[in-house]
Amino acid sequence: MPTDTRRSAPPLHPAAAPRPATSRPHGKARSPLAALVLGFFLLFFALPVLWLVLAATKTDDQLVHGDPLSFGSWQALRANWEALTAFQDGAILVWLGNSALYAFLALVITLCVAIPAGYGLAKTEFRGRNTLLVVTLIVMLMPNATLVVPLFLELNAVGLIGSMWSVILPYSFYPFGVYLAYIFFTTALPTELLDAARLDGCSEFGVFRRVALPLAAPVIALVGFFGFVANWTNYFLPYVLLPTSGQFPVQVGLGELLNNVPQFNPTVGELAVQRPQLALATLLAITPVLLVFLFSQRFLVAGMLAGATKE
Amino acid sequence: MSSRVRWRVRAGHGFVAAYVVLLVAFGLVPTGYAIAFAFTDSTGAFAGLANFAAAASDFRFAAAAGHVAVYLVLWLVTLVVFVVGLALLLHRVTSRSLSRSLRFLYYIPGALAGSASVLVWLFLLDPAVSPAGFLLRAFGFDTFGQVVAPEHLPVLFTLIAFWTGAGGWIVVMYGALNTISPDLIEAARIDGAGAWQTARRVQLPLLRKWIVYMVILAFAGGTQLFVEPQLLSQASVGVAGRDYSLNQLSYDFAFRNDNVNTAAAVSVELLLVGLVAAGVFVVRSRFFDAD
Amino acid sequence: MTAKLDSGTSQGNGRRRIASLACGVALLLSACGSGGGAVSTRNEFKPVEQTGGKVTVWVDSTRLAAAQLYQKQHPSVPMEIVTYDGNANGSNYLQTKVSLFNRTGGGWPDVVFSSQNNETTWAVQAKFTAPLNKGLLPQSLLDGWAPGANDPCTVDGTLHCLRNDLSQTVLWYDATLMKQWGYQVPTTWEQYEALGKQVAAEHPGYLVGSAGDTFTPEIYLWAGKCGANQITGPKAVTVNTTSPACTRMAALLDTLIKNGTLSVSSVFSSDFGKNHAGKILMMPGPAWYGGALFQGTFKVPAGRIAVAPMPQWSGDNTPSVGNVGGGTWLLSAHSANLKAATDFLTWVTTSDDYQGKVAPGYPAYGPAARTWLANQNSSGYYAGDIAAPLQAAAGQVWPGWGYGQFSQEAIWAATVTPGLNAGKSIVSMLPDWQNAIVNRARADGYQVNQ
Repeated sequence: MPTDTRRSAPPLHPAAAPRPATSRPHGKARSPLAALVLGFFLLFFALPVLWLVLAATKTDDQLVHGDPLSFGSWQALRANWEALTAFQDGAILVWLGNSALYAFLALVITLCVAIPAGYGLAKTEFRGRNTLLVVTLIVMLMPNATLVVPLFLELNAVGLIGSMWSVILPYSFYPFGVYLAYIFFTTALPTELLDAARLDGCSEFGVFRRVALPLAAPVIALVGFFGFVANWTNYFLPYVLLPTSGQFPVQVGLGELLNNVPQFNPTVGELAVQRPQLALATLLAITPVLLVFLFSQRFLVAGMLAGATKE
Repeated sequence: MSSRVRWRVRAGHGFVAAYVVLLVAFGLVPTGYAIAFAFTDSTGAFAGLANFAAAASDFRFAAAAGHVAVYLVLWLVTLVVFVVGLALLLHRVTSRSLSRSLRFLYYIPGALAGSASVLVWLFLLDPAVSPAGFLLRAFGFDTFGQVVAPEHLPVLFTLIAFWTGAGGWIVVMYGALNTISPDLIEAARIDGAGAWQTARRVQLPLLRKWIVYMVILAFAGGTQLFVEPQLLSQASVGVAGRDYSLNQLSYDFAFRNDNVNTAAAVSVELLLVGLVAAGVFVVRSRFFDAD
Repeated sequence: MTAKLDSGTSQGNGRRRIASLACGVALLLSACGSGGGAVSTRNEFKPVEQTGGKVTVWVDSTRLAAAQLYQKQHPSVPMEIVTYDGNANGSNYLQTKVSLFNRTGGGWPDVVFSSQNNETTWAVQAKFTAPLNKGLLPQSLLDGWAPGANDPCTVDGTLHCLRNDLSQTVLWYDATLMKQWGYQVPTTWEQYEALGKQVAAEHPGYLVGSAGDTFTPEIYLWAGKCGANQITGPKAVTVNTTSPACTRMAALLDTLIKNGTLSVSSVFSSDFGKNHAGKILMMPGPAWYGGALFQGTFKVPAGRIAVAPMPQWSGDNTPSVGNVGGGTWLLSAHSANLKAATDFLTWVTTSDDYQGKVAPGYPAYGPAARTWLANQNSSGYYAGDIAAPLQAAAGQVWPGWGYGQFSQEAIWAATVTPGLNAGKSIVSMLPDWQNAIVNRARADGYQVNQ
């Protein structure tokens, strides 16, 4: 790769034209091919989701016999809601609450840990920096099938099995986020900016807090969002580590509901869960993720350089 | 100045200290433990490469490795081409609200991880009830069983993985594109570069680290294929996707046969493959260079 | 890139294969060794110190009602009721947790319900289960179970779990249609096949059964005495899928699949629900088809569905039926309150209050089954008496088919079902099926006879 342009100074065109008022490139955005591609992928991504939303408004019978993309009825939706919340006396609500608690606490720790770590790796030179990057990569690439047993033994040794911290602490270790922050700070934060602040007498921590952090909104949103989603959707760790179903997060709860749908487990009795109820539970389970997405999206795309914020 | 440098070194340690604690506790120790498992037997005695041999001699191993290789090629190409392509296209959409809505809609499936989407795929791939039933019938499939035939699985898994995973990466790439100074793009435009040339000469080189990161993770994720076959196996009640990938085999060893050691051996092999690939990409892209 | 990857893999395979030979031998030896060791320790069950305290019970959500009812009737017993997935669909939750508990030396539940019948295949080796017929439960009580019901729980004469429900197969049929079309309910497989041909000609689209489920072999081949799964010891199995008994039944299935009277879609699939559910004349299947399938899923109106004995091959005077599932209850060997735990175990498997009146499945315990059948008959859903054929079938489950650690359903699903969907005949796939069973059994450490 010949180009190594991380600075904002354009290497090819030092005499850039006067900046136009808008920051958005005026491309031929309305090309029909581009619209076609974007439209096709819109269908690809959204159609199944639309189906799922509609499925929650149907009876099991309508789900099979009706048009796949038709609306059922409000009564059916209501009946599904009632049946779902009646399952094990409102277990779904307990699971949602658990998920929120675990994901939120872990998110706070993740952000407090991963953002400074990414900054330190990107903007300071210290012994062990490369080792740290490599080790992080190794543990990130390790398949987790076999990590569960060691984790269980470790958490048992410190007496955390049975407590909610047995999932929150492993959740809050989020190497993916550290790398996101690392790449962000290396590619998007000019060192000159930091040096200027140092000359102004800022301490190293002051430079981070006063200069880097305010500019890091996009990556904080990015790490926060992906961290939240990873915690929210984690299945296997809580499934194995948590001892009672009352402590399960909603993702494990969905698995339990799935195992009570006759189509997936023919041996369930009359207390069976119907497929539209499962669809409704799924929608409930993903709504918080989507809300967090919408919230963080405002920061995700904010531009990098001070004042050059786009959107 | 030298004291200043020393202070900066110490500050560097300060920034990463908390992370190092978590890394050791929940990354390094379990990984080290697992690697130790791979070289010991159930009594804890050193076993050399016996666990690796046991894994390799399993009747599913060769087939699973083959499946993973085919899937990996499909998955990597699909992901890189379409994620980068869609991010560039989205970045050129002039209407902010349209671009924002599209990113949101592309992302939604990302929330449907694991068991949440079993139901979706069960219905989507069944021509009798699928909203895309006309498409499946156009390909000549009349029943769910025909759709999930073994030879279709790599394509299906790629579809499922792309459906859930691409939206997140599109957001990352889009955000990365936004960090490129608009002046650069503007300069290229004034220079007479079209959309394609701007992308190739300016945007792609600047996205290099992000793309490399995505490829490293996607490569490792692809070799560790697990969720998609597991999901389809649940949807098809075991007809398709059971024992499909190496990582599933590893789970099987660990939790069905209570043989953590052989499971760990498979994991270590997958780790090595991921690391070799990562090493190649890191070196070739100078990924670790600090600024 | 691809070429490089491929050559790398094949080289690796060669080397691995050599190493694997030596290792395979080692594995075999160690498997035998541990089997021998287990025998000596099995007889000397020493309960842990009985400190009493809470009885922890793990149930799936269907059996939650049972535990709650017991707690209501016995409020003085300190219980902790935990719901889990019941190991459904081979989740292996219990096994996973027990192996972790074994490593840390604590945390085991006292009594566990599992929806699987093969838990003893690992639980005995993991020393999780307490022996039930060595003093904990009187033989007189155990004699109440249907003949052979506790076979999957018995390892070398020691009982390690109790069967919750039976899933013996019978012939379900639509009495109204039978009468309307003037057909006789078949009593032999020959008549069944002939009727299938007649239906194909006279009422195309109607079904006489389904061969699309993962438990198809358990309905037809088990009932037909096909020796695909003869578990002969804790780690030994005899597999022969190409015997006359197997090919004969497979050929019957092939004929009826070809003429369209046997469906190749799962009875729980949307395709089946949409295209076949209203067109069922007959359907061989387990006891739970009545409630779970006809009443619950297909919503067949009351007064139509009836039960007949499973057809037999003419000339065979030892009637045999298959079995599809049924759960088990396990008692932990680590329980510090064996008395309370055993009381609960006894109640939950034998009481009329639960098994007879509430349980969804056919109780494995005979007296409870009689109450259960009386309840079913009085519900008025079925056309005619279902008690006699179900009760008879409960004692006719062919004992030549056992429960290994490997799942026959999973093997059939992965090996035979894709072929069926691609239009291959079952007869032609019997050798592949055998191969798959043998491989799977060996991978689980079984000594395989073919």
